[in-house]
Amino acid sequence: MIRTLFYVLGGVLLGGIIHIAIILLLPDFANRDAWTSLGRFGPDGAFHRLPMSEPGTEPLPYLDPQMAYAACRFSLDDGPIRIKAAMPEDFWSIAVFNRRGSNVYSLNDRSAERADIDLVIATPVQMAQLRENPIAALDQSIVIEVPVTRGFALIRSFVADPTLVGRAEALLGAADCSAELPSADAPPAVDPGDEKR
Amino acid sequence: MRLLINIAIAIAVALIVGFGSAALVLDRERLFGAVTRGAWTAWPDTGSPDADPYTEAMLARTGEVPLGAGEGLAFSADADSAGARLRGECTYRVTGQTPPARLWTLTVYDADGHLMDNPANRTAFHSREVLRHEDGSFTVAVSRSAQPGNWLPVTTPDAIRLILRLYDTPLAGGSRIGAVVMPAIEKVGCP
Repeated sequence: MIRTLFYVLGGVLLGGIIHIAIILLLPDFANRDAWTSLGRFGPDGAFHRLPMSEPGTEPLPYLDPQMAYAACRFSLDDGPIRIKAAMPEDFWSIAVFNRRGSNVYSLNDRSAERADIDLVIATPVQMAQLRENPIAALDQSIVIEVPVTRGFALIRSFVADPTLVGRAEALLGAADCSAELPSADAPPAVDPGDEKR
Repeated sequence: MRLLINIAIAIAVALIVGFGSAALVLDRERLFGAVTRGAWTAWPDTGSPDADPYTEAMLARTGEVPLGAGEGLAFSADADSAGARLRGECTYRVTGQTPPARLWTLTVYDADGHLMDNPANRTAFHSREVLRHEDGSFTVAVSRSAQPGNWLPVTTPDAIRLILRLYDTPLAGGSRIGAVVMPAIEKVGCP
């Protein structure tokens, strides 16, 4: 009898380990999480406009119906990425999430102190390379370092009334998630024969 | 034989305790970091890299995308100011002021987190369109029947949830949420 009790106790301890494992692993294996849901809207590496949140057609749960959204799933395996988007005058914000759906960075139009988005996302290693080899063309960009290799960026743009939906959607549709990033590997003007365009 | 039975018991206990407790925890409201002001609750850490593993797991299960700390802060209410569960069959008045924010929106959802289709074509109010009293405060009526002034229609008789999103607010991002005053949710009446 006492021996069975020990086994039950062992089972409870093992149950605790299972509990922790489930909680920690769930974000990587969930099939209804934001990362997976956003994959429905198109291929990775480009922004896709989400349909406006209306009854019955919410692209993701609990999105604000007063906002227009565009999302881009990205990978930093092939180097840093650069996000460029012209934005409306009104409130907008951009947030960067990791593969597990946790927010790693966010910014709104006022804290950006500019009317458009020009954001370079790099891993810590890529960031170190960028610091060593600064790219002049990125002077105006906001360069952020995120501890992720895969993730997604989500732009929110406030739509004050339905007549403005068209404009917000046009701007979000033109958002670029793989804007040209001058190569950091090739220092500029090394080859004198290289023609400048 | 005895050993096999004991091992089977241990494994059964482990599975029940492990999966059961995980499901129990994830089906409830988020455990950690809740900030409650009046009828409203926010989870400021949800939108930061410091989100706890339970929050991460819960977000992964629902597919929600939280507001980042640099974007704003969302307060949700499932009960009125008196503590009674919000129900669509009742009429409520959301009245008062919001904490400082450049922009806010008030949205109503049904129990499953969906917006409700209604003839008035309205699922939310934002701070610039809401009609205000002379002192700058506002009253939004949440009801199944048409109301004068700001009417936020619901169509379900069952549980509803209100979400007040504050955009670009000093409350989000690091600074502690002090004694902010949230709008009151008063029950006007139930059938």
